[in-house]
Amino acid sequence: MDFLHHHICPRNCYDSCSILSTTRNGRLVSIEGNPVQDYTRGKLCSKVMDEVQKVYSPHRVKYPLRQRKRYSGQWERISWEEALDTISQQILSIKENYGTTLPIAHNKYSGNFGVMHNALEAFMTGLGPTTRAVGSPCWSAGVDAQAFDFGAFFCSDPLDMEQAKLIWIWGANPAWNAVHQMPIIFRAMDKGAKVVCFDTHFTATAARVDQFVQVNPGTDGMLALGMAKILVDHHLLDPSLSEYSLGHKEFIDYLNREIDLKECSRITGVTLSTLEELALEYGAIKPACIWVGFGLQRYANGGQNLRAIDALGALTGNIGCPGGGVQYGQMETWRFSGPLSHARCGHPEDRNLDINQFPVLALEAEPPVKMLWLAGRNPLQQDGNQAQWQKFLEGLDLVVVSDLFQTRTTLAADLVLPVTTHYEHWDLNASYWHYYVGINEPAIEPVGEAHSDLQIAWDLSKRLNQLSSGSSAFPTGGSEKEVVLQALGTEMLEMLDLKSPEELLKGPLRVSFPATAWQERKFRTPSGKYEFYSEKAREQGLPALPVCRLPRKPHLEAPLRLLTPHHGSGLNSQSYRLDTEGSTAENKPPLLARLNPGTAGMYALKSGDRAVLWNHGGTLPVTIEIEQGIAAGVVIIYQENLSDIKAPHPNLLNLGALTDMGNYATGAYGLALNDTFVGIRKA
Amino acid sequence: MAKQLGFFLDVNRCLGCGTCIKACASANRLPTPLTWRKIWQKEDAKVDQGQISRFFLSTSCNHCANPECMRVCPSGAYAKRRDGIVLHYPDKCISCKSCVASCPFGAPQINPQTEKAGKCQLCYEEIDRGSLPHCVQACVTGAIQLREIYGNPTDKLLRLTAPTPTLRLTRPSTFYYPPKGTKIL
Repeated sequence: MDFLHHHICPRNCYDSCSILSTTRNGRLVSIEGNPVQDYTRGKLCSKVMDEVQKVYSPHRVKYPLRQRKRYSGQWERISWEEALDTISQQILSIKENYGTTLPIAHNKYSGNFGVMHNALEAFMTGLGPTTRAVGSPCWSAGVDAQAFDFGAFFCSDPLDMEQAKLIWIWGANPAWNAVHQMPIIFRAMDKGAKVVCFDTHFTATAARVDQFVQVNPGTDGMLALGMAKILVDHHLLDPSLSEYSLGHKEFIDYLNREIDLKECSRITGVTLSTLEELALEYGAIKPACIWVGFGLQRYANGGQNLRAIDALGALTGNIGCPGGGVQYGQMETWRFSGPLSHARCGHPEDRNLDINQFPVLALEAEPPVKMLWLAGRNPLQQDGNQAQWQKFLEGLDLVVVSDLFQTRTTLAADLVLPVTTHYEHWDLNASYWHYYVGINEPAIEPVGEAHSDLQIAWDLSKRLNQLSSGSSAFPTGGSEKEVVLQALGTEMLEMLDLKSPEELLKGPLRVSFPATAWQERKFRTPSGKYEFYSEKAREQGLPALPVCRLPRKPHLEAPLRLLTPHHGSGLNSQSYRLDTEGSTAENKPPLLARLNPGTAGMYALKSGDRAVLWNHGGTLPVTIEIEQGIAAGVVIIYQENLSDIKAPHPNLLNLGALTDMGNYATGAYGLALNDTFVGIRKA
Repeated sequence: MAKQLGFFLDVNRCLGCGTCIKACASANRLPTPLTWRKIWQKEDAKVDQGQISRFFLSTSCNHCANPECMRVCPSGAYAKRRDGIVLHYPDKCISCKSCVASCPFGAPQINPQTEKAGKCQLCYEEIDRGSLPHCVQACVTGAIQLREIYGNPTDKLLRLTAPTPTLRLTRPSTFYYPPKGTKIL
């Protein structure tokens, strides 16, 4: 007999799809999109089509493993008892030697954003203050920008975009990274909307829309300010601007005083006539929606880029307008409660280290970090500062990694703990894009000896208290389902129009917010208005107004800018490759480095040539691919999953530059990933 | 022929995301890396003229009106159904590879596990129960459609052609919507 179960795809993705699984005789046999969820609409993306094989993959970590020596590959299967003993003894010896639990560090991010995955954080909070990674490698600068402008980071229901008459997709590639938004955009196009894509390179999304504007990397803010000036010059401002905004006069003065359109055109690479055509169109067509991706804020001037774009929406009255707005993301639907909630799983005296400078700051920390637990992360492939990571790891007494598969990071682990997939545990997930919230049910028993994060936290708490009574305040057992349901407190139940958490077991529900963000034009800024002039930004040592900040320039020895956007086939390092058994670096060609014909010509490179990218961080062998539609001086390597976890990877070249914003709303600066500069030579 | 089912691909909606390929491979339990559906990227970049046309052509077996595979197969492993689906029967297949060599579109391929030929069967079991092929069901944007060709006007659509002009004679049952390029500003 077949059984159906509800799941939420937990990956760090806009779409957070609602999934229905089918099990037969206790085995997962198929998955499909849940047709009742209006964003997923019964469809899934290519990244999850082979999830059933992934769950039962022979490559999955199924038992606790100990590595005799880091990087040796000498793994031995151990029992959970032994694994938990090793960890407990390490924790107790740290407490004894240092008189504090601060040398215990936890570094977790987006491997799984579900509430249940905060169990380890909550467990550590029960030990005392520990060292945590805070902030985000992804979106921090933009989150701050919107927090300054609107007072909170919030976007409209993505289905609202269907009403737009003009859509600007700016620095986002939904055709690969948010496929479920594409039918919404196509429905708008079918109703006559014009869609323009702004990017540094011609993407799969650009290929499906009406117009493409190539913008020089990191000059997006300058471009927006130029267009803002044209809107002002042509009196295309919203008549009630003064009622809902603060500082618009100062902003307009700034534009008149500082922004020169010829200069703007030269720097952005967008011709004056295009600049004018775009601005006039944006000023005339209503509603006009701008969707800002994460790409354009991953620069040292990233926050300013987004503040300038927000200003376009505010000047023209598109903010708060159905089908309009400047959409970036949201976490307003994540108001979970209880000890596992994202907001409350930390300890007030934790030593919080910026996730983007984690090894750098941890190396300087006193008392030192001696034990590191990594979960939902693969920093040795995905982070900058790789040299510091190596140095930091060398000083650690114990490195524990919880994961589903071996990764580049597990190579450096002492212990690897097998964890469950979202087909094997209870969880609760929201999206940072759409408004649906859903419960994830287990469909099958855990594979092998995999345990959920909550189970691991309970068992470890129990073991610790056996060894040293009262050393762990975290519970030692319970019902995973109950814990997950408890995270639906009064506030969430109200938002979901529910009387009891159990009602959400019937399937995902949309939070009952109106579809348009800021429709009342009541903002959460100190003034209650849209703030062109932000005192909060000034308090953070930033300009109060959105101003022009030019992107970093490359050094002479590393003259090219390396961009590493997501590929359609994967998500960071998460789409575990199943087709690569037995393959090695020797029989796989190196990663493709894409350059435009002009840039390639400067180095006498042609398609198919082998070359090497290099900077202070290291070297990366690549194969050259010449492609039209890439900005000059730019090398693009899509973040394709590497079949060999030991092969050189693009983040060796990522030196961990930081963004201008992020500290205000996320507690740490963002990663200016797109300010990675490299030299190139023929191999 | 009473009917001819065929694929209509709206190239202006195909994202090249590959969900169709994986849905097909998963439903038909194909051993990695074998896939019965493939995506060809076609690009015509005229940057100086302000246009880039980049398309993803998702194709599998075209269920030709005059299937060459069926004509050359010495063991009678191919048949054409009344609805136009070209079927391959692995139990009759003698692994001679005649079809693999003769199909102008490269549709039949040898399955390394069974060593027999195999190709898109248009998910005939799904069709027989009133459903759609897995690729069509999975397509996020509705770019791949399955239609009855004889009842639908195709004069405004582009016809799939083989690299060798004489092989157009197989009359593939796959049609493409005329592509629209992206204007480069």
